[in-house]
Amino acid sequence: MLKVTNIGKTYGKFTALKNINLEVADGEFLAIMGPSGSGKSTLINILGLLDQSYTGEYLLKNKNYKTVSDNFLSRIRGDQLGFVFQNFKLLTTYNVYENIEIPLIYSKKEQNNKRELVEDVIEKVGLKGKEKNRPSELSGGQQQRVAIARAIVNHPNLVIADEPTGALDSKTSKEIMDIFTKLNQDGTTIIMVTHDSEVAEYAMRTVYIRDGRLYNDEKSVKKS
Amino acid sequence: MTDKILIAFKSIGKNKNRNFLTMLGIIIGIASVICILAIGDGFAHTVTKGMGNHNTRNKVVIMYQPTTEDNTDGGFTNNDEAVLEKIPGVEHVKLTSSVVEAGAKAQYKTKNVTMSLNKQPKHLKLVKGNYFQMSGASNGVYISEDLAHKLFKKNVLNRLISIDGTVFVVQGIYHISDINYRPDAYVSKTVFKQLFANQISKDEARLSVGPKANKKWIGKRAVKQMKKMGEQKNIGTYEVSNPDQVSKQFTKILNDITYFIAFIAGISLLIAGIGVMNVMYITVSERRKEIGIRRAFGATSNDIRNQFLIESVVLCVIGGVIGIIFGYLLVAIINAFLPFKAVITAYALILSLSVSTAVGLIFGFIPSNKAAKSELVGLLKEE
Ligand SMILES: Nc1ncnc2c1ncn2[C@@H]1O[C@H](COP(=O)(O)OP(=O)(O)OP(=O)(O)O)[C@@H](O)[C@H]1O
Ligand SMILES: [Mg+2]
Repeated sequence: MLKVTNIGKTYGKFTALKNINLEVADGEFLAIMGPSGSGKSTLINILGLLDQSYTGEYLLKNKNYKTVSDNFLSRIRGDQLGFVFQNFKLLTTYNVYENIEIPLIYSKKEQNNKRELVEDVIEKVGLKGKEKNRPSELSGGQQQRVAIARAIVNHPNLVIADEPTGALDSKTSKEIMDIFTKLNQDGTTIIMVTHDSEVAEYAMRTVYIRDGRLYNDEKSVKKS
Repeated sequence: MTDKILIAFKSIGKNKNRNFLTMLGIIIGIASVICILAIGDGFAHTVTKGMGNHNTRNKVVIMYQPTTEDNTDGGFTNNDEAVLEKIPGVEHVKLTSSVVEAGAKAQYKTKNVTMSLNKQPKHLKLVKGNYFQMSGASNGVYISEDLAHKLFKKNVLNRLISIDGTVFVVQGIYHISDINYRPDAYVSKTVFKQLFANQISKDEARLSVGPKANKKWIGKRAVKQMKKMGEQKNIGTYEVSNPDQVSKQFTKILNDITYFIAFIAGISLLIAGIGVMNVMYITVSERRKEIGIRRAFGATSNDIRNQFLIESVVLCVIGGVIGIIFGYLLVAIINAFLPFKAVITAYALILSLSVSTAVGLIFGFIPSNKAAKSELVGLLKEE
């Protein structure tokens, strides 16, 4: 699915990422763990084509998007990727249906019925009957379901989730992870940031970030 | 496109008060544009309609002007008419008079008064007596209050007066207001024609020409002929009357008015536009999170720019529509006070809507562009 070679990222003098090498196969479910401020969000912003100012090489589906036009990047983001952000990031003045619909507004994919796509995904995340509710009328777990539904409504190849269970209790976290597991079983590649090792258990593989460096297992993190 | 306009309506609806206040400038600006255009159009309409009465399209008019003020008798004669008719291109000549009233002397008992008179109009409001169209040979006369007072010292009917030696019976008395000019007396059409019309000098010669005739050449030629052969060339001058000149002058005045309006409207709309720009800046910075989300889920920077531009235009067009409605009401009120009728033309409506759209586009552009150009990672940190 993607291949990262020697990626680095600095904010002025501060080095947020250094020498990152990572390969993710099609259909994989990868967890990224690490303490706060270690560079997890910074990395997945690059992987999700949200941030283009980095050094090194990043290939998504064997293509380098570093120099493509902004419009083209938007197209790839909308049609191939799906994001679940750290704190839901729902539009508070729109209802559940309208929030989930957003990627379809801009999609250039051949779509059958957009309404059906939204209703399908609402059913998948278990929000049937809540279509007309505002985010403020939902629980945290329900809001995260809306965020997931929005991420997958346009059937992306790769879903990138930043702390999808960060604000949820363990029971709700489990329900959310069941949705992700199901999604992965249906063939979607998933990259998920978490600092909860129980949640990371759901993934096939876990990598660790500390001070902007990536490690493939926990032991090597401690050694360094 | 419709769904994008719907999104704009929705976003605008979320800040009704703020957006209404912003629209106020546009509403007032457009309403005044509508009003002033309506007055201008109504005025132009009235003027051109008045001119339509003497259709001059296939006519060349030669005017005779007496050299001295007090000699008003001069004009064209039947011989002159024959000369003019021989000019190539001229089909027909009609001698008329620019002065329609005849002057006469009225006498009652020992009192002598000079007066003006004309054939009776279709309608006339009387202060005394009943008004009706008099038959051909009738010797009835309608006189003004002024004349009645000069002759009889009061308004009385059925007195016999002599006008240029012919005896008339006073049938009714009318009032002359300051606004409406009227002659001192009216007689029946036939009587006027028989007794008085011939004493009005024919100082206009209307030359009917073919549709392809060179009017300029004919006019020059006619004046030249008259200067050489006109029977009264020694006591007056001849010239081509150019009715286009009159309408040109009016058009110029109207144009000046229009420029003035454009100036006023421009200033009010400029201020309104700055308001729009301000509110769009606020909207954009309030909705950084929304922009970030849309961008992350596939919106291009053009999509974002268009979204805010559409919103700005919709805001202004709503203001424009309200302004038009408001303008309609104002025009209805103004019409109660105007001597002519102000009219709202389709052109005024189209102009108003185009101006509203333009204000939205122009003043929404910079804020929309700012929204489109914001850096994505920064937007997504917004809560
Ligand atoms: N725009 C920025 N300017 C300067 N420094 C930044 C900027 N964004 C992030 N950083 C720094 O980069 C480092 C990594 O940030 P990042 O958001 O990736 O952390 P994280 O691993 O996602 O943490 P958390 O678990 O708290 O979300 C942090 O030390 C942060 O201070
Ligand atoms: Mg983070």
